[in-house]
Amino acid sequence: MLTKTDTARPWLAAYGSEIAAELPERAHPSLAHLIAETTRSHAKRRAFTCVVPNGMNGMLRYDQVGAMSDAFASFLRHHCKLPRGARVAVQLPNGLAYPVAAFGVFKAGGVLVNTNPLYTPPEMIHQFRDSGAEVLVICDMFADKLAEVIPQTGIRHVVLAGVPEFFPRIPETIVRGVQKVWTRSLPPVPTLEVPVLRIRAALKIGRGLPKVEDWDQTGPEDLALLQYTGGTTGVAKGAMLTHGNILANLDQVKAMGGRHMTGEDCVLTALPLYHIFAFTANLMTFFALGARNILVPSPRPVQNIQRALENYPVTWVTGVNTLFNGLMNEEWFAAYPPKTLKAAIAGGTALHEAVAARWQAITGTRVAEGYGLTETAPLVSFNPLDQPVRVGSIGVPVPGTDVALVDDNAEPVAQGAPGELLVKGPQVMRGYWNRPEETEKTLQNGWVFTGDVAVMDEDGFLRIVDRKKDMVLVSGFNVYPNEVEDCLSKLDSVLEAAVIGIPDAGTGEAVRAYVVQNPDVTTQVSKEEVVAHCRKHLAAYKVPRSVIIRDELPKSPIGKILRKDLKAEVRDEFAGKA
Amino acid sequence: MLTELETTLLGVMMMVIMLGMGASMTPRDFLIAFRKPKGILVGLLSQFAVMPFLGYMLAILLGLPPALVVGLLLIACMPGGTTSNIFAYFSKGVLALSIMMTTVSTLVAVVMVPLLLDFYGGLAGVPAESSIPPANVAQVLVVLLIPTIIGMVLRKFNPNVGATVELIGSFMGVVVIVFLVVTWVPRNYQLLLDTGATIYAATIGVGLIGMLFGYWVARALAQDTNRARTISLETGIQNGPLAVLVITLSFTGAMQQEVLLIPVLYSLFIVLTSTAITLWYRRSATREALARDAAKLGT
Repeated sequence: MLTKTDTARPWLAAYGSEIAAELPERAHPSLAHLIAETTRSHAKRRAFTCVVPNGMNGMLRYDQVGAMSDAFASFLRHHCKLPRGARVAVQLPNGLAYPVAAFGVFKAGGVLVNTNPLYTPPEMIHQFRDSGAEVLVICDMFADKLAEVIPQTGIRHVVLAGVPEFFPRIPETIVRGVQKVWTRSLPPVPTLEVPVLRIRAALKIGRGLPKVEDWDQTGPEDLALLQYTGGTTGVAKGAMLTHGNILANLDQVKAMGGRHMTGEDCVLTALPLYHIFAFTANLMTFFALGARNILVPSPRPVQNIQRALENYPVTWVTGVNTLFNGLMNEEWFAAYPPKTLKAAIAGGTALHEAVAARWQAITGTRVAEGYGLTETAPLVSFNPLDQPVRVGSIGVPVPGTDVALVDDNAEPVAQGAPGELLVKGPQVMRGYWNRPEETEKTLQNGWVFTGDVAVMDEDGFLRIVDRKKDMVLVSGFNVYPNEVEDCLSKLDSVLEAAVIGIPDAGTGEAVRAYVVQNPDVTTQVSKEEVVAHCRKHLAAYKVPRSVIIRDELPKSPIGKILRKDLKAEVRDEFAGKA
Repeated sequence: MLTELETTLLGVMMMVIMLGMGASMTPRDFLIAFRKPKGILVGLLSQFAVMPFLGYMLAILLGLPPALVVGLLLIACMPGGTTSNIFAYFSKGVLALSIMMTTVSTLVAVVMVPLLLDFYGGLAGVPAESSIPPANVAQVLVVLLIPTIIGMVLRKFNPNVGATVELIGSFMGVVVIVFLVVTWVPRNYQLLLDTGATIYAATIGVGLIGMLFGYWVARALAQDTNRARTISLETGIQNGPLAVLVITLSFTGAMQQEVLLIPVLYSLFIVLTSTAITLWYRRSATREALARDAAKLGT
């Protein structure tokens, strides 16, 4: 069945009249073409505004982004002698330098290697060596890591960019002064064997060099991104995403957004752009529309977002469960949610029912949950905006996408039964960079094995049950941590929760819950309360055997709760006891 | 005494401070603050009921001459100073509450300070010629509201200018005190030596006892320790430079010199007392946070 191409698509009915069943023909051969065209047609419109916590900001228009990324492309090609297809690592928080650098890489025919700015030197070394990156664009706040990293990699040129890069002169000087003197977050730049330039200087050099002439040679089959993903185990590997993958996914996001997404929109980009969710949904999609991105360098603490939401007419917000939860726990947000908001897009991790319902109640707009993974650039499914809210559903597959649910033998499961979710479509990656074995395990006949267990309703709406490897096996019964976490998050005294399995002599595994006290509630959360609440709503075997109250939970850069870190703690804990 | 140039400079600096205070907030901040107004109301109570009474009691108990009584009462009746926000920040207090208390008390001061001065001045038997005309105080405060509003408008229409003004304003709070120290202290060195212990007691006492009372009033009205510490600092730290400005606009010559003594000394010493108290509060805040953590641990 999986090799057949005529898979049934029961979800097409849910598209209604708003969403076209098939993707439109690709309008551009590559991202470079799209960027060149968009910066020309929307020249005088505002493309990116970066807002730091005190409200200081800088803005770039479309034509400025176009000219600056042209200059950066010239710098890469002629000054750094970067051949087509070579990799450029960009390790920046959200800011105006990010689109300039990333778009410059595409125009130079390079491959963008998105890198988390908070990576430790060993993580950086692994990613730069694995990808074979030749140029690194890094945030000056982390320049101190260069001395250790650069000699162990093939990087030949380093470009530094700051958080207030391209702000007007006075705010830039003030923010930099605060970073230097007050927060002491600007380390001295070490002396390196390779040349180090600030991005302004690189652009100046680039402007003096000829424009890259072969920018339009890039096609849909060429690599655009090496997007590293840790998965839940093993070392980080680079998903190879082509220009065609990203362009297809842009069209898929736009198709699902329909008439609700236009060039007049203003999207809050608080999630990091180096992550595929914000890269595609915010940076590329809204840019392609001619809309405006409000970039927030760091959404933690959530207070950092306040000025961005106060000062700009934000119509769309993308976020993860923890971000929505955090926003709603801020009085300034809950009491005066932005009036201009149209809808929010949730992804990255399961959106809890309680959070979705509260968001609707507070903002009067819906939060539409989508689902995706790095390997699919990322969007796979999304809730149609004109359909009634389907609680707990990740929506229907986006146009041009096929999905299948299979058992352990890769055989399709019966309708309504849980099975591993497989995805096929124009957004599916070409494989993992230099890892044929990993690729073979994940990608078969064009289908990506997601590792997520899902069920499909009759009309094609999908629900994620859980990660296959996070399932807890209690006396032979499957317990899905998501279900227990969802139950816990409905307790007022609980801010957030994580559930994992722990070894148990009697039942094989037992459920353990980690909960965080809700600071807005005066009643202290107690183990007894948690257990009693779960007993009321869950079958006995799903009720946590052990409850741990924590100040915070380990989280990924975009705010996903990391069960794997908790599992590692448990391994240590029980290894100690053995 | 202060020269005309110094008085003008002081006035300009106060304007900048108020401009910065305006730029630090939006109308919405008030709406939010008054959704849970208890903290602010408690703050107002300690600011305008406890402090003036304390000033009056000190004046009576220490038997100060009328000119000094005027200075002490004025300091005691002043709204919170913007430097209190910096101390609230360093003491790990509730910064939003501190900012709001400063703002609200400054607004309320337009009405309350003239009334309070009149009332306690009469009670302490201050002769008419050495009392501050209530209209003067109201006038200065109203004039200062103009830059506050301009600050709010600036922030609304140009966040970059707003944030810059906000930063300059908060620095200016420190600059003013330094300004007073370098212009006033060298010229009045002998005066400082000649000043009696009772005057020092009044000057330091009004701030220190104010903080103590502020804390316990807040605790008695069911504010948690963190908020009580913030209210305490806010109560004890008065807008000294504003008092100096009001005096220079109301008196001249030797009389000005005499009335100025306590407000200037207060402005100098409050920096030292607040620093000491802030360090102490910071330790308490850390200790409480650790205790909370310890209580939560365990399976």
